[in-house]
Amino acid sequence: MTLLDWTILVLRVALPALILPAIVTPLVWVERRVAAFIQDRPGPNRVGPFGLLQSPADILKLFMKEEVVPANVDRFLFFLAPGLAVFAALSTFAVIPYGSTIHIDGRDIPLLGADVSIGLLYVFAITSISVYAIVLAGWSSNDKFSLMGGIRSSAQIISYELAMTAAAAGVILATGSFRLNDVVGHQEGTWLGFVPRWNVFVQPLGFLIFYVSAFAETNRLPFDLPEAEPELVAGYHTEYSAMHFGSYFLAEYINVIVASAMTATLYFGGWSLPGFHPTGILGAAASIAIFAAKTAFFVLVFIWVRWTLPRFRYDQLMKLGWKALLPLSLVNLFWAAAVEMWRMGTR
Amino acid sequence: MDRLVFEAAAAVTIVFAALMVLSRNPVHSVLSLVVAFFSLAICYVLLFAPFIAVIQVIVYAGAILVLFLFVLMLLNVGRERPEKTGHPIQTLLSGVGIVLFAGFLLSTLRQSVTSAPRALAGEPNVLGKPEALAREFFGGYLLHFEAVSVLLLAALVGAFVLARRESHREPRG
Repeated sequence: MTLLDWTILVLRVALPALILPAIVTPLVWVERRVAAFIQDRPGPNRVGPFGLLQSPADILKLFMKEEVVPANVDRFLFFLAPGLAVFAALSTFAVIPYGSTIHIDGRDIPLLGADVSIGLLYVFAITSISVYAIVLAGWSSNDKFSLMGGIRSSAQIISYELAMTAAAAGVILATGSFRLNDVVGHQEGTWLGFVPRWNVFVQPLGFLIFYVSAFAETNRLPFDLPEAEPELVAGYHTEYSAMHFGSYFLAEYINVIVASAMTATLYFGGWSLPGFHPTGILGAAASIAIFAAKTAFFVLVFIWVRWTLPRFRYDQLMKLGWKALLPLSLVNLFWAAAVEMWRMGTR
Repeated sequence: MDRLVFEAAAAVTIVFAALMVLSRNPVHSVLSLVVAFFSLAICYVLLFAPFIAVIQVIVYAGAILVLFLFVLMLLNVGRERPEKTGHPIQTLLSGVGIVLFAGFLLSTLRQSVTSAPRALAGEPNVLGKPEALAREFFGGYLLHFEAVSVLLLAALVGAFVLARRESHREPRG
């Protein structure tokens, strides 16, 4: 490999990893402004134009604050856990295609971190690792509220992971590949000339299950039981302060972005649009913009839902996961298989 | 380069497997095992078996060990206390066990020393790809595959029945 190849590889892998945390800063502002709009109040509007500098100021504050470490914590795990949360959140993005393939001087540069044959499985593997970040925070803090939050979270994430994986299996069945670029390629074109060939139109149930489970996986309302304030103070991150506390916020927002990107990729055609054939740098830039727009839409729905729905009770949460979403995801899988059989028959 | 990464991952696997046995704190044991599974997954990737690597992380590190941790946290298991060595026969037997195990290990190692580097340098292992693996599972080995799934289901039902009976016997109050 030449130096140029290495540079391209590093850019392609490192850029999304660097851009994601940078997006979180304005995203927090968006979340607070949307929340304010929904609750009919102004929201942060003092620091900078439209309050845009509120988030940078808050982050600066988090960095400058005194770190308070309670006695009797397992120090190594206590500091490892927030890092693990950010690491897991960032590394999920490595296999998500955020743009089309660029052809320059005979080089094919796919716009994603790593085009591996097990793309989707890799995402689930990393998701299952992110449980540790929360469980360890809960355990190492040596605090009953943190412990309860950690235990709740592990039960919740394991339960919803099943439904999520089974729903995504329907997409894999239709595509015939775990590679996420194949999933996007499969959804190019239209039916009857105007309906995009997006998976959401074939498997609407699968999309619904996947998206609902994504809320549970990212610990967002209405499923934010691990940090339910009225009962658990702040759940698993009760004992954290300063930027270690901030790390959990960073990880949560990155997870929201990644979950939205996954939804857009699996069910809404990723970076593709019907009738759009990207060529050259400009085409690639357009494909990135399309991907960003679709992702942004689902991020906004995440925020919208947070300020609209009340929190579930814990038994309701478990009942929904095991008795509704899991059986429905199996129904979706049968449906996907039936559609695929029919398609094979007509070919 | 690949060779170097492989050896590093293998070394990490062994160190953390040892830590898993040696650490006094059960939670640390579980976490050492997680690290060991992870580095083992890296070895699988370098041996051209990415599917097995990812399944290993999802199933072992992601599901089974989280359940271990879950149980440990629920029961709040404390530190293990160092035990005094027991009966002399125990010491003798464990010595015999170590010698036997070392013998097995050496004989296996002598075979794998000749075959493992070849796998590392050789052509991509076809079986490591999901498509090829699926063809084997749902083609040649379909009956075995289904038999295993029935066995797992039986184990699941069995565990469920045992757990239920246990809770009925529990004294109330």
